[in-house]
Amino acid sequence: MKYLRTRILEVLYPAPDHALLRFSAEPPIFAEPGEFVMVYGGWGAHPVLPRAFSLVESGRIGSILVKAIGPGTDWLAAMQKDHELAVFGPLGRGFDVDPEKTPVLVAGGVGVAPLLFLAERLAASGRRAIFLYGARSENDLPLAEDIAGVAELIVTTENGAVGEQGLITRPLQRVLAEHPGCQVYSCGPEGMLEAVAEVAAAAEAPCQVCLEAPMACGLGTCKGCAVMTTGGSYKYVCLDGPVFPAPEIYGTAP
Amino acid sequence: MSDRLRTSLGTLTLDNPVINASGTFGYGFEYAGMVDVAKLGGVSVKGISLQPRPGNLPPRTVETPAGMLNSIGLANIGIDAFINEAMPKLRDLGVTVIVNTFASSVEDFAELAERLDPVEGLAALELNISCPNVHSGGMHFGISSSAAAEVTAAVRAVTGLPLMVKLSPEAGDICAVARGVEEAGADIITLINTLRGMVIDVDRRRPMLGEYTGGISGPAIKPLGVRMVYEVFQQVSVPVIGMGGIANLRDVLEYMMAGSAAVQVGTANYAEPGIGVRLIDELEAWCAERDIRSCELVGLAQQG
Repeated sequence: MKYLRTRILEVLYPAPDHALLRFSAEPPIFAEPGEFVMVYGGWGAHPVLPRAFSLVESGRIGSILVKAIGPGTDWLAAMQKDHELAVFGPLGRGFDVDPEKTPVLVAGGVGVAPLLFLAERLAASGRRAIFLYGARSENDLPLAEDIAGVAELIVTTENGAVGEQGLITRPLQRVLAEHPGCQVYSCGPEGMLEAVAEVAAAAEAPCQVCLEAPMACGLGTCKGCAVMTTGGSYKYVCLDGPVFPAPEIYGTAP
Repeated sequence: MSDRLRTSLGTLTLDNPVINASGTFGYGFEYAGMVDVAKLGGVSVKGISLQPRPGNLPPRTVETPAGMLNSIGLANIGIDAFINEAMPKLRDLGVTVIVNTFASSVEDFAELAERLDPVEGLAALELNISCPNVHSGGMHFGISSSAAAEVTAAVRAVTGLPLMVKLSPEAGDICAVARGVEEAGADIITLINTLRGMVIDVDRRRPMLGEYTGGISGPAIKPLGVRMVYEVFQQVSVPVIGMGGIANLRDVLEYMMAGSAAVQVGTANYAEPGIGVRLIDELEAWCAERDIRSCELVGLAQQG
C-alpha cells in the first residue's frame, strides 16, 4: 500500500450533489470490490481527517463516488480535473464471492459504489447479477445507468418517482423467493442493511454487508471504527471489514 | 543527513526532534512500506497496559472544528503481545521506540516499567497520566501534582530508561504538575495530551460519542499547547517535548521557539502518515538555509 499523490482525470456528476472522481493511480491500485481507500483533499486545518471511500473502479484509474454532505465531501465534490488528490489504499477486506450462488446486490444511496464495482467484476467473468437499488427519490440514484449495462437492475424510490415505490426489501423478498440459491451482497444506510440481513436470513440466503463507520486512520491503528459483533467482541470496520457476514453484525440466522 | 537536527534530551539523544505521538501511529510497524519509520526522531507507540484492552463503546471519533474528538479508551494489545510481537518488528525496522504506558494504579505503572526496563531496543518510557477517556486512573494522576509525582517516583525507582511524563492540559496548574514530576525523577516532560470535549448529535438528541465525552486534538488546540510549553519551559530544567495540533513546519518552529526541545505530531498523521518524515526534511532545509542547528531554536521566543 502506498500513499499516492494522484491527479484527477475527470469529474462526472451522476446525480445532484454527487461527484464521481476519477484519478490516475501510479503505481496502480489493484483492489477487490468492497475494498476502500483513504482520501485526503489537502484541505489543511479544517477538516483535519481524511475520508474513507469504497472504490468504484481500480487499477491505473481509480474512482470514488462522493456525496456532498459536509466540509470534507463538499471540498471533494468541488474538485476539478488536474487537481491533486492524496489517496492511500487499497484497504480492508472486500466481498467474498460465492461462485456457486446467484449474486443479488442490494444498494442504498452511495452504497452503490462498491456494488457497481462488484457487478462489473461479475460481468467480466460472465455472470450477470441481480441488482436492487433503493433511494429516497430520483435525485439519489447515481450510476443507475452504469448498473443497467452490467446487471439486471430493479429500482425502488420512496417517493415512487422512479421504479417501484417503497423500500428495497420488498423486491428483495420477491427475488429471493423466485431464485433459490442466492447470495446477497449489500451496502447502504445502517437501517437498510439490517432489514436486508433479516430478509436474506428469512429466505435462507447468506448475506454480506459492507459497513461504514467514522474512522481516522483507515488501517487499524487508531481503533476508532469499532463495531460490536454478535460474539460480544469489537471488530474494526477498516481492518476486519468493511465487509462482514451479516450474522456477525446483526445476529441474523447464518 | 547531517547532524544539524541532532536532539539531546538529557540522557536521550535523537537524530531529529520529530516524534510521532502515541495513539496516532499505532505501534509504528503498520506504516512500514508507506513511511520511512526509522527516519523519525522516534515513535511513541499506542499506550500499553498490563492487560489487553478492548476500548470504549462506539462511536469513538468525530470531527470538530479544526480538530477531532476521540474516545478510544486505550484499546491496545497488552504488554505481553507488545514485547513478544510488536517489539521484534520494530527492532527489525530500526524504529526509535518510545514506549507509552497506561495503568490505573501506581503499582501497575511500576510493574509495566519494571517489565519493560530490560526489553531490548527501547529508547525511552513515556507515562500517560493524562488520558481523558478511561474511567479509572488516566487523567486522575495528571491533574494532581502529588499523584503525578507519586507515579513518577514509583516508576523512576524501577527503570533506567529515559523517563518521559505526559501531562494533561486539564491540570489546574500544569506548571505545578511539571515541577512535581521533575522533582520525582522525570527526565523529560511531554505536553499536552487532549482535553475533554463533547459533540451533540442534534438529530438523535444525545451526545455523539458512545462514552459522551472525548479528547480534543488537532490544530484547534495548538495555541493552548504552545502557551503551556512556554510556561512550563520557564519552570523546569528538564527538556520539554511539545505537542498539540502540529500540522506543518511553522507549527514545529512555534513549539520549538516556545521551549520545546522536540515535538510530537499526532492528529496530522491521519491525513498524511508520512508527515513526520516530511517535517524532518523541511526543518533540515529551513535550518540549513539559516546555517543553524535545530537545537538553537529551543526557547528563542522566551522573553525576559
